[in-house]
Amino acid sequence: MRWLGLAGLSVVALTLAVVLGPAHVAWADLGRSPIVRELRIPRALLGFVVGGSLAVSGASLQALMRNPLADPFLLGLSGGAGLGAVAAIALHLGGPWALPLAAFVGALVALALVFRLGLVGGGGGGGAELDPRVLLLGGVAVGAFAGAVMTAIISVSEAAQLRNAFLWLWGGLSGASWYTLLVLCLYVPVPLLVLLAAARPLDVLALGEEPARYLGADVTALKRRVYLAASLLTAAAVAVSGVIGFVGLMVPHLCRGVWGQQHRALLPASFLGGGALLVLADTAARVAVAPRELPVGIVTALIGVPLFALLLRRWTAT
Amino acid sequence: MDRDLILALRNVSARYPGAAGDALSGVSLDVRAGDLLAILGPNGSGKTTLVRMALGLLVPATGTAEVLGRPATAWPRRDLARVVGVVSQREENLFPQRVRESVLLGRYPHLSVWGGERAEDHLAVARALERCDVTALADRWIRTLSGGEYQRVRLARALAQEPRVLVLDEPTASLDLRHEMELFELVRDLVDAHGLAAVVVTHHVNLAARFADQVLLLDDGRSAASGPPTDVLTRATVERVFAWPVAIEPFDGRPQMIPLRKPSP
Amino acid sequence: MRRWADRIHLAARLLVSVAVLGACGRAGDRQTAASQASGALTVTDDAGHRVTLPAPARRIVSVAPSSTELLFALGAGPQVVGRTTWCKYPPAALAVPVIGDGLNPSLEAVAARRPDLVVLYRSALNEAAAAQLARIGVPALVVKQDRLEDLARAAQLLGVVTGHSSTGDTIAAAIDAVLRTPPPPRHVRLAFVVWDNPPMVIGAGSYLDQIAGLAGGVNVFHDIPAASATVSLETIAARDPQVIAVLDDSTPVGEPAYTARPEWQVVRAVRLRRFVHLPADLFGRPSPRTAEAVAELRRLLEAWR
Repeated sequence: MRWLGLAGLSVVALTLAVVLGPAHVAWADLGRSPIVRELRIPRALLGFVVGGSLAVSGASLQALMRNPLADPFLLGLSGGAGLGAVAAIALHLGGPWALPLAAFVGALVALALVFRLGLVGGGGGGGAELDPRVLLLGGVAVGAFAGAVMTAIISVSEAAQLRNAFLWLWGGLSGASWYTLLVLCLYVPVPLLVLLAAARPLDVLALGEEPARYLGADVTALKRRVYLAASLLTAAAVAVSGVIGFVGLMVPHLCRGVWGQQHRALLPASFLGGGALLVLADTAARVAVAPRELPVGIVTALIGVPLFALLLRRWTAT
Repeated sequence: MDRDLILALRNVSARYPGAAGDALSGVSLDVRAGDLLAILGPNGSGKTTLVRMALGLLVPATGTAEVLGRPATAWPRRDLARVVGVVSQREENLFPQRVRESVLLGRYPHLSVWGGERAEDHLAVARALERCDVTALADRWIRTLSGGEYQRVRLARALAQEPRVLVLDEPTASLDLRHEMELFELVRDLVDAHGLAAVVVTHHVNLAARFADQVLLLDDGRSAASGPPTDVLTRATVERVFAWPVAIEPFDGRPQMIPLRKPSP
Repeated sequence: MRRWADRIHLAARLLVSVAVLGACGRAGDRQTAASQASGALTVTDDAGHRVTLPAPARRIVSVAPSSTELLFALGAGPQVVGRTTWCKYPPAALAVPVIGDGLNPSLEAVAARRPDLVVLYRSALNEAAAAQLARIGVPALVVKQDRLEDLARAAQLLGVVTGHSSTGDTIAAAIDAVLRTPPPPRHVRLAFVVWDNPPMVIGAGSYLDQIAGLAGGVNVFHDIPAASATVSLETIAARDPQVIAVLDDSTPVGEPAYTARPEWQVVRAVRLRRFVHLPADLFGRPSPRTAEAVAELRRLLEAWR
C-alpha cells in the first residue's frame, strides 16, 4: 500500500516536471516540443536518479557511521569536487565537460584521502579497519581543507569565472541532457546494487560492530564496501549537479518513519523518495519565480523541513 | 561424558599489542551440551578476552581455541553464528525498532543476501520469543522496554540464531534483583530443557554458584580454579583472588560467599 | 561593469549575514556635519550621506574599475593613488598601486595609501567599510554604479570633489545625450549570457541592458528588474534570442565552452553559433565611453538586422 503511494508520487513528480515549466508549451505540442524532449524529460529523469542516489547514499552512510546526522557531503566530497572545478578553471582546461570531469576527479581524490585517513590500526596494513568516527573527522577535515584552498585560489587568481564556480557548486540540474543521463545511468547501477546487497548486514551493524560480528557479518569488508559505494554515488551526483543538500540527510529519516529501520525496505524506498523529492523541488525551482530560477537546494530544504517536522511530531507522540 | 564438546580452549594465552603483560596465560575450558559454565573473576582478569578468543575474534598466541572440533578462527563468521549465540556486554540502538524486528536480526546467519524471510525464520523467531517469555512484547518499541525486558529480548535474538551454545557477557550488569534471578532462571531452563550449552561471564559470584554446573575463576589472566562450584569457591581461593576476607556458607547444596567486614581498630 | 554587477549579486548572496552585521554597524556613525567654510566641498553620496572635503581631493583611492576610469576621464588621474586589480582601463591606470581586488576591501591596504578620499561602489559591505573609514577620518563616497544614469551622476559628484566640475558636467551631459538618442528602428532580440551552469543572464537593472536598447537591440530578459539573474535553460530557449552576447575577458576566446554541450543546442542561437563578442574594456563596466560602446554594439548587431 505504501509502496503504491510512493510509486504514485514518483510518477506524479515526473509528470509534473515534464508538463510544467517557465516556458509555455501548449498541451498539444508536448510530444513534439524540443524543450520538452531535449530539456525537461532528461532533466526530470536525471533529477530522479541523482535524488535517489543521494538518498540511498545517505541512508547507507547513516547506518555505517551509526549516526543519524550523517550526510553524503560530510565526507569531504563536496570540498574535493569544488577544488577540482576551481583547478580546472584556473588551469584554463577547455571543453564543455572540463568542469564536471574535474569535479568528479576532485571528489575521488577526496574519497581516497578520507579512506586512507579512516583506516585505523593493523600495523602494516594487515588488519587495518575503517573506523566510522575517524572517517567522519577525516571527511570534515579534508572538506574544510579543500574548501580553504579553493577560496584561496579564488581570491588570488584573476579569472573572473572562478567566482562563478561557486554558483555551479551550489547545485542545480541545469546541465541535464540525454547524454549526461546516459552516462549517469551506466555508472550508477553498480554502486547502487552494492548498497542494496548490503541492506541486511547494515541492519545488524546497527547493533554495534561487535554484536554484528557475532551475528556473522563480515564487518570489515562491509564498512569498506559501503563507504566506497556510497561515496562513488555521491561523487557522480556532485559532478553532474553540484552539491544538493538535504536530500541525503532527510529522505532516509522520512522513509524510516513509514518503512521502519529494515534496510531491505528502507533503501529502495529512499531511492524512490529521494528521486521524487528532488524532481518536485526542481519543478518548483523552475516555476516558482519564473522567469528566474531558484537554487534547487533551497527548495529541497523548504519542502523537506516541514515534512520532517511533521514526522518528528508523530515519532515523539508515540 | 558423551555429551558433545562444543567449545574447547586448551592452554591459551594472549597479549594485546602494546600491553605490559599477558591478558591470558595458560587457560583451558571445556563447554559441553547441557552445561552452564560461569566465568568469574575481578575486573581486568581477562573474562571478556577469553570470550573473544573462544569466538575466534582473537588469535591465541599459544594454545588452541576450538568450536565443534575446528579452530575458532577457521570458522566462516556466518557458520559460526549458527552455532554460537552471543549476548554481548554492550549494544547500540540508534534508530527506533520493534522487538520483533530486533529478534529477527538473529536470523541473519541463516538468510541469504537477496532472499526474503521464510516461514522457518518466522517460526524460529516465534519460538525464541516464547522461550524468553517476551511474546507479549513483540510489537513494542525497544525504547519502551525495561532493563530486564530488554535483556530477555536480546537473549531471544541469540536464541533465534538456533545456536548450540549461548554466550552471555555480563548479562545482569544493570538489572535489579528480580530481573537478575529471572534471567538466570531462564538461562538454566534453556540449558536443561533444550540441551543448549551456556557460558555466562558474570561478577555475581553467588548467582554463579547457584546456577552453574562448572565455574572458571580467573585471576589476572590465569585460571585460579575450575570445576564444580563447590570445588572452586573455597574460602582460601576466593580470598586470594578477590583480595578480601570472606566466609563461605553452603546454601541449597551450593557454596555462597559472604564478604566480611574489616575488623575495627 | 558586467562582472561587478554579478559580483555584487554574488557577494550579497554569499555574505548576507555579514551584510546584516555591517548594516547594523553603519547607522549613525558617519560624519554629518557639513562645514561651510570657504573652499570646503560638500556632496551627498548615493548612500545619502553628506561628505565634506576641505579642498579638492589630492590622494584618491578608487575601489571600483568604473570610478577609476571615470577619475581618469575627469582629468584626476594623477590624483589616483590606489586602485583594485580589476581597474585596468585606461592603460595609465596600470601604474597606480593596487590595494586589493575590491570585493571585500582591506581597509588597512586602503589607509596605507594615506588617501584623502576613497570611492566605493554601492553595496551593503561597502557601506559598512565607508562608515569605518569615516571613523578613522578618511572621507568615503559610496557611488551607485549599475546603470548609465548612475554614471552620469557619479561624474558630476566626482567632478566636484576633484575640482573638475566642468569636465564632470561635460561627461554627464554626454551620457545623457546618448541616453536620449533614439535607437535604430529595427530591433534585434538578444540575450547576455554570463554563465552557463546555472544559466545567468543580464536583466533590466544593468547598464548592458541600456546599451543594448540604445544600440537597437532588445534584451529578451528586460522583464527581469535585477542586474543579473539565474534562469532556466528552457526559458532562454523559449524566448529564442536571435543572437547571444558574450562578454570577453581580457583574452578573447572563441565560442563559449557551453556551445558544445548537448542541452544548449535547444537554444537556436547557440545551435546556429550566433554570438556577438563584446570586448571587456569597453563593455565590462559603465564607462564614460558609453557612446563608443553603443556605436560598437550597433555595428555588431547590423549583421542580424
